Amino acid sequence: MAETTREHATRDVLVVDELHKTVAVGFRRRKVEILKGVTFTVHEGDVFGLLGPNGAGKTTALKTVIGLMRPTSGTIELNVAGLGELGYLPENPYFYDYLSGSEFLELCGRLFGLRAGTLADRVAELLRDVGLEEARDVQLRKYSKGMLQRIGIAQALINDPRLVLLDEPMTGLDPVGRVEVKAIIESLRVRGKTVLFNSHILADVAELCTRIAIMRAGVVIWSGPVGDALAAGDGDLERFFMQVVTA
Amino acid sequence: MRRVFAIAVNTFRETIRDRVLGVIVLFALGMIIASLWLASISLNQQARMMKDFGLVAVTFFGLVVAVFVAASLVHKEVEKRTVFVLFSKPVGRTEFIWGKFLGLAATMLVVLAGMGLFLFLLTLVVAKQASGWLLVATALIYLQLLVVMAVTVFFSTVTSAILASVLGISVFVAGQLSHNVLSLSRLGSGVALKAASWIVYVLIPNLSAVDIKPTVVGEASASWASIAAWAGYLVAYIVVVVLAASWVFRRKEF
Amino acid sequence: MLKRSVSVLVALACVAGVVAYQAHAGTKPAPAAGDPNVFVPSPKFYTDLSPSSRTSIADAYWLQMIQYYGEHWKTDHRFDALPAMVDLVTTLSPRFKQAYFFSAFALIDAHRPDLSYHYLLAGYKANPTDWHFPFYLGFFAWTYAGNEDRHHVAIVAADYYSQAAKLPGVLPSVARLAAALLAKGGEKQKAIETWAAIYGQGDKYSQQKAIAALDALLPPGKHERISAVAALRDLMPASQYSRFVGAIFRGYQ
Repeated sequence: MAETTREHATRDVLVVDELHKTVAVGFRRRKVEILKGVTFTVHEGDVFGLLGPNGAGKTTALKTVIGLMRPTSGTIELNVAGLGELGYLPENPYFYDYLSGSEFLELCGRLFGLRAGTLADRVAELLRDVGLEEARDVQLRKYSKGMLQRIGIAQALINDPRLVLLDEPMTGLDPVGRVEVKAIIESLRVRGKTVLFNSHILADVAELCTRIAIMRAGVVIWSGPVGDALAAGDGDLERFFMQVVTA
Repeated sequence: MRRVFAIAVNTFRETIRDRVLGVIVLFALGMIIASLWLASISLNQQARMMKDFGLVAVTFFGLVVAVFVAASLVHKEVEKRTVFVLFSKPVGRTEFIWGKFLGLAATMLVVLAGMGLFLFLLTLVVAKQASGWLLVATALIYLQLLVVMAVTVFFSTVTSAILASVLGISVFVAGQLSHNVLSLSRLGSGVALKAASWIVYVLIPNLSAVDIKPTVVGEASASWASIAAWAGYLVAYIVVVVLAASWVFRRKEF
Repeated sequence: MLKRSVSVLVALACVAGVVAYQAHAGTKPAPAAGDPNVFVPSPKFYTDLSPSSRTSIADAYWLQMIQYYGEHWKTDHRFDALPAMVDLVTTLSPRFKQAYFFSAFALIDAHRPDLSYHYLLAGYKANPTDWHFPFYLGFFAWTYAGNEDRHHVAIVAADYYSQAAKLPGVLPSVARLAAALLAKGGEKQKAIETWAAIYGQGDKYSQQKAIAALDALLPPGKHERISAVAALRDLMPASQYSRFVGAIFRGYQ
């Protein structure tokens, strides 16, 4: 990790530094600190896995990066040209019931200011990439969970973003769906995109990621290349994860 | 502006395709037809009864659609987390609220125009007389319902959908009583009470400024100037409330 | 198979039960007429509540009123709440003419001709160009005045008929009624003038009636009649007047 000093610094896509987030909960607006100083860096071309047990603050960290939440303190440095170069898939995505798959993607494209001609091509291309060409005119309320996840990934890619944030992209999918989503993430890496995603499923992380960060109770307790983690856990990411989290 | 339009088109599609809407509209048309029956037992006052009760049905069902769709409009997006998708794209909160509101306004336009024309034609065919005032009245009912919608959208950004719809209906009722609040402000003894009731009077939308239904049945004669002034007032009220809603919404985190 | 036939049987039994229940309920004797004393809110309540919906409320009460009238007309002939209903409907919707006319006659059945008169007056005030109001007022004054002085009553009624006769759309017979009532009331000169005016403006039938009436009213003596007829000259166009003179002196030498 010594050589990261200068060379890598120019290619950092996302630098999160000492991120704190306190929210008021419930009727009495009780303050709860969800993020207690989160720090991690995502380099250009990384497939970055954000791991941690439930309630560690992974989703909150992603929401703060995308701007759905405002940080209480700390900084987020995004080296992309605003939301126009970002893609985001929320956790358990749910979209408009009565729109068809292609209508939904067209809406998303319009929000990025894509013109009708390029938009139609882009929508067709994405539907092919995520394997939903057949279902393009089916209303979203008739989609299965796996199909929703795939249309969700498609909408995150509509603007051909440099950085893609995926919140639990593999959760709740059957094995076939997982393989498909993994293939999509893999193809993004091949095309040089930077991907940051959350996951519980360590086997997938080990397979896909170049770098990981492990969170617990609102702080990052370990981050580094996935190879280091595998080496420390004797080739088993799960073992390493348990060591770190329970330490 | 393009983004507002995109969201509006999407909202229009989303709401117009909802089956619940179709059911309510069918029910409304049924009620308008039922006013035929009332008209038939009215001792030769068929046209009058059809116009009057028909407009009541249009208002009532329009109110139901406006309030329930408006209440769930923003709330559903937050609840079902579609806003995550929208706000991860270069969409401003104000653009979002205006898009949603305009899309719903378009849906309401279809609903009200359908009911209004249906009533107009039915009166024309059955009672052999229908005044253009029926259509003017429908247009004004539409504006009133947009006010209720705007208010409901505002409430739905700060509270639950059910509470927002209850508050929306309350505002509709209060709007009918606007002049009462005014007379309260004239009656009040203390300066503070007078001032307070005057503020309430200004806050509550004035939904009964022009006697439009009495005009339709020839009971009053509303002037075009008063109608235009009232319509202008309603539009201004809508703009203020939608802006307030987007201002509240801008401060929201998800 | 067995299951299916059982469920069909259960369904049929339930259908039979539903139909039987309603059929039985339908055999119950019709409920007695409702209490004639139903509560009717004050019109002020509704005008305060929603001025822009006042006609809708009036219309709803109009339907209730005619139903109330019909129901009690068929049964007990008690119309205790009728005056309040009339008041409500006509106050909320002062230009609802049919409501006044219906109420005027319905209130007679409620033994309140005074109220009929009162509401017709109110209606006349709100609709001053509709001839039906003074016409009915005349009719009610004449028919339901009780034991007041008949001469006086005739004059009052005649006055209403004369007002009605001046309004657009009026039937020609109204003016004749006014003239006849004036004669009955002893206002001989006014009656003569009214008949003369009728002759001047009326159709052939009205002119015949006018001649017949005037023949009876005008003094029979030739000289007196000549001076009386001369006084009527300004009441009709010149061309009509010469025909009138010919008709009224028919049989005179």
